[in-house]
Amino acid sequence: MDEKKRAQFRKVLREIKSLPTLPGVVAKLSKMAENPETTTEQMGRVISKDHILASKLLKLVNSAFYGFPQRISSLNSAIVLLGFNVIKSLIISASIFEVMESQDVELWEHSLGCAVACNVLARHLGVKDPEEISTAGLIHDIGKVAIKMELPREYETITAMAQEKQISRLEAEQEILGLDHAEVGSWLARSWNLPNKLIEPITCHHDPLSAKDERLASAIVHFGNILIRALGYGHAGDIWVPPLNNRAWKMLALTPADIDPLLAEIEEKLWEVKGFSLDIQNEASGPA
Amino acid sequence: MQRILLGQAAPGMVLAREIINQDGMVLCGAGTALSENLLRRLADMEVVDITVEGHPVHIEGEKTLAEELHEVDLRFKRVEDIAPLMYLKKRIQARIAAARSA
Repeated sequence: MDEKKRAQFRKVLREIKSLPTLPGVVAKLSKMAENPETTTEQMGRVISKDHILASKLLKLVNSAFYGFPQRISSLNSAIVLLGFNVIKSLIISASIFEVMESQDVELWEHSLGCAVACNVLARHLGVKDPEEISTAGLIHDIGKVAIKMELPREYETITAMAQEKQISRLEAEQEILGLDHAEVGSWLARSWNLPNKLIEPITCHHDPLSAKDERLASAIVHFGNILIRALGYGHAGDIWVPPLNNRAWKMLALTPADIDPLLAEIEEKLWEVKGFSLDIQNEASGPA
Repeated sequence: MQRILLGQAAPGMVLAREIINQDGMVLCGAGTALSENLLRRLADMEVVDITVEGHPVHIEGEKTLAEELHEVDLRFKRVEDIAPLMYLKKRIQARIAAARSA
């Protein structure tokens, strides 16, 4: 591939312009989080100032993606339950997905489905902070959104090539751009100062063993992505179930007897989230 | 199990899932057989869709079981050498077939 062209794509994607910039509230919250004196109430107040953001956050938190048994009705309890890192990534997701939902409903569905699968897997494996893994699942393909927004022409070419050659979108991206959505997602996640627990699963969801610190989280998102594609829920740019990394599979230590209960639980939750949208305005008065 | 619009429901069909209203209240339990009377009441409560046992309604353009199974085959086409994924495929297909008859 042409080196000059490749460097140019790299530059464009690194300086992403058309994706919404991180809402000011995130910077403010990050600053607050550094101060040990900051209380949850203070953080809650800052978020509440943006009504739409606040209702989106609560909607996400109460959806089946996070699977809390009880309804979380206040931002304060959401902050306490989920921790600042998850809240921060949720604010980011809510802003990004506003674009994604309007641009690419099928990728949005795939992302939501992946979040569900990751949540079910994480709980099944008994890992700490399953919410963070769901969030990683929710934003694992964020690089695809960036490519679509920044390089719409190349994005179309990638789609056409994947279809024509019957290859995966990932392979087509590498062929046309010399880089792929996992790498782009990684830059984005880093530029937003997301925690490593989210950066690595995004970066390594196709190659979980390249993760350094968050190998299990990356393996879960790797398999969560496979599961949701296997179920044919949403559409991530090609129809293929991606290859399973053998060592990641061993790390998950799942047995054949685990598969049916996992599938049943994922299907149940997908049922619950069907038609889930973050679009607050388009809703009727909503539940009382 | 099939999710259908209330308008497609007919007396004699059996609910495979409970009906829940917007506030999360259960209006009608799973296993309930639908009657004319009940269907009218559900319509009054503005229930839009319900899930019934079996696959009683043929929806135009809907995939047949064979088509659905074939799509699963196709999705797994590039990973046929990976044993755990072949098992996954088998289970997904078994579940699709079971859902049609249950």
